Amino acid sequence: MEKKIRVLLFKPGLDGHWRGIMTVSKALSEAGMETIFFGFKNVDGVVEAAIQEDVDVIGFSCHSGAHLEWSRELVRELEEKGVRDDFLLLIGGVFPEQDHEELRRIGMDGVFGPGTNTADIVKFIRENLESRVQKRG
Amino acid sequence: MRRMSDLEEIKKALEEWRKNKEAWPERREAFHTDAGIPVKDLYTPLDVEGIDYLRDIGFPGQPPFTRGVYPTMYRGRFWTIRMFSGHGTPEETNERWKLLYKEGETGFSAAVDSLTFAGVDPDQEVEGAAHEVGKEGVPLYSIRGVEAMVKDLPIDRMSVALVVEPLTSAAVTSMYFNVAKARGLRKEQLAGTTQNDILTMTIGYIPWGSLKPADLLKLACDLIEYCTPMKEAPRWNPINFTTYNYREGGIDAVQEIGMGLANAVAHIEEMLRRGWKIDDFVHRLAFHLSAHRDFFEEIAKYRAARKLWYRLMKERYKPENPEAYRFRFHVQTAGCSLTARQPMVNIIRTAYQALEAVLGGCQSLHTNSYDEAICLPSEDAVRLAVRTQEVLQEETGVGSVIDPLAGSYYVEALTRELEERIWDYFLKIEEMGGVVEALNTGWLFGEMSKAFNKRRRDQESGEEKVIGVNCYVLEDEEPTPPFRTNPRAAEIEKERLRRLREERDGRKVATLLDQLRRVCERRENVLPVVSELTAAGATLGEITSVYREMWGVWQLPFVA
Repeated sequence: MEKKIRVLLFKPGLDGHWRGIMTVSKALSEAGMETIFFGFKNVDGVVEAAIQEDVDVIGFSCHSGAHLEWSRELVRELEEKGVRDDFLLLIGGVFPEQDHEELRRIGMDGVFGPGTNTADIVKFIRENLESRVQKRG
Repeated sequence: MRRMSDLEEIKKALEEWRKNKEAWPERREAFHTDAGIPVKDLYTPLDVEGIDYLRDIGFPGQPPFTRGVYPTMYRGRFWTIRMFSGHGTPEETNERWKLLYKEGETGFSAAVDSLTFAGVDPDQEVEGAAHEVGKEGVPLYSIRGVEAMVKDLPIDRMSVALVVEPLTSAAVTSMYFNVAKARGLRKEQLAGTTQNDILTMTIGYIPWGSLKPADLLKLACDLIEYCTPMKEAPRWNPINFTTYNYREGGIDAVQEIGMGLANAVAHIEEMLRRGWKIDDFVHRLAFHLSAHRDFFEEIAKYRAARKLWYRLMKERYKPENPEAYRFRFHVQTAGCSLTARQPMVNIIRTAYQALEAVLGGCQSLHTNSYDEAICLPSEDAVRLAVRTQEVLQEETGVGSVIDPLAGSYYVEALTRELEERIWDYFLKIEEMGGVVEALNTGWLFGEMSKAFNKRRRDQESGEEKVIGVNCYVLEDEEPTPPFRTNPRAAEIEKERLRRLREERDGRKVATLLDQLRRVCERRENVLPVVSELTAAGATLGEITSVYREMWGVWQLPFVA
C-alpha cells in the first residue's frame, strides 16, 4: 500500500482565527492525507514535531497580518536544523495578494489566499511531492 | 378577525393557482433559507394562520417586542453608527477615530490586537508576540494606551465599545473607566459596552493561553457585578453576547441565536447564584448579532430574537423592571461573506446586510469595509462603509416607519418558524447542562467544525454561490492596494511600556498583584483590585499572568 501523505498544520503566535486551518485540515483528511493539527504554537516546537512525526508537509494559517514574519521564522528554524528541503511548506489565510511573491521568495512553496478551493491545495501537495520524489530520484 | 370561510376560499384558490402553474418550470427543485428552512413559492394568509396580532406581534416598545424595543424606533433617533476600528498604535487609532467622527460616526468601538485579546505584553516571554503588535487592532497594554486612544474625543457625549473578552475585560474596562474619570466624567456618564463574551473567546476565536470556561464565566460576571449591581458604572453595558463571532464560523441563524440565549442564561444563573436579584442586573445585558446573506431570514431572526428574549424573561425570570424585557442589539455585517476577489462587490453585500439590520430594528450598526477580506480597512474603504449607513439614514426613508415588513405573510411565517427552531436549539444546549458544560465536553466546538465543513462543501460544490469565488470569476484581476499597519508599532509599544515601568511605583504594583493573587484564590470579584492595578500602571500581561498562575490554562477539548 502507498504511504499516506502526512501533513502538520498549526497556527503561529497568538492569532486565534481557527476556521481556516480546521477547514483545510478536514479537506486534506477527506482527500486521504493524514493531518496532525499542532495547535497554537511557536515555530520551534513545530519543527521538532515535524521531524519526529516524519511529515511531508508543514502548513500554517495566518490572519494576524504577521504572515511575512512567521514565514521567515519557520524557514529560518528549518534551515538552522538543516531540514529545509525535507518539507513542502504551505501558508494560507488573510493577507494581500501583493505579498504572495515575497512569501514564495522567503521559501513558502504554496501560498493560498482567501477564497481558495481546497481541491487546489490537495492538487498542489500531490503534484509537488511527486516532482520532489522524481528530483531526488 | 378573518372568517374561516375566507381561509377555505383562499386555500382552494391557491391550490388552483398551483395547478395552473405546473407547466411553468422552476429554476431549481427546492428552495430553502440559509438555515435550511424550506421556502415555498408563495406565502398567503394561510401561512400566518394562528398568529394573533396583539399576542404575537403587538406594538413597538410593547410585549412581545416583535416590532422593536422602543415605541418610536428610528423616528425618535437613528441607530448609532458604530464602526469597529483600531490599528497600529493608540495614537494612530485615535486619528482614525477622529476621522470616523468627522465623517458622521455616532459611537466608537475599539478593535484590539491579538496581544490585548490574549492579555500578553509585547515584551513578555511569549515568543513572537511582538510580531503581532497593532496588526489586528489597537494595542491596549496599559492605561497609557487607552488614554492615547481616546485623547480629545467627546467620550462624555459618545459611547465607547471595548471589544475585549473575559480574559482582559476587567483590566481594559477599568483602564477606560480610570481614564474617563481622570477626564472628569462621573460614574453615570460612563456610557458604553464591553464585549466580555465567553463564547467569542472559545468557539469564536481561540486566544493563546485561555482559561477554563468556568473561570471565563467568573470573570465575565465580575464585570457585570461591578458595573451594574455594585453601581460602579450603571449606564455601562458590561456584556454583549456576541453571537456575531460564532456566526462567522459558518453556523446558521438558528444556532446563532440559540447559542446566544444559552450563553445569556449561563450568566444570569451565575449572577443569581452570587445572590443578586434578577432586577439588579438583567436590564443591562445586551447582544451583538450578525447580518448575513439571507435577507428575509436575517430580518425574521431579529424579530424572533426579541420575542424569545421577552419569553425567556417572562416565563423564567420575571423581572419587574420593564427595561429587562427589551432585547437590545448591535449588528455587524458578515465579515465572512466578504471576498478578497472583486472586493468592490463587498460594498453591495454590506449595503444589503445593513438594510437587513435596519429593517430588523438594530440599536447600533457596524458596516464592514470592502477591503476587509484582505487587510484592515483603509481610510477610503471605511469612509464608504460609514456612507453606506448614511445613505440608509438620509436618502432611503427606511427610518421613517417602524418594522415595515410586519404583516408580510413570508416574514411573519418565517419569524414564527425561526422562533420555534431557535427555542428548540436553545433547550438542547440547556439539556446538556448549558454552555459551560457544552464547552467542556467539546460539543460546541463540534458544532462549529461541522459548520466549517458544511460551508466549505457547499461553496466548493457551488451549492452556495459566492460571486467572484465560485461564479462570475474575473481572470487577471488587479489586486486592491492593501492598507498596512505601522511596522514600528512593536518598537513604539515596547518603549511605552519601558517608560511606564520606569515611572510607576513598582512596589505598589507588586503589592497589588499579590492582592490580586489572594482575590483569585478566594474567587472574589477581581474588579476592585484590577482597577487599582491599572490606575497604578500595571500592564495587561501582568494582570492576566496572575489569572493563569492561579487558575491554570485551559486545555481545549478539541474536536477537529
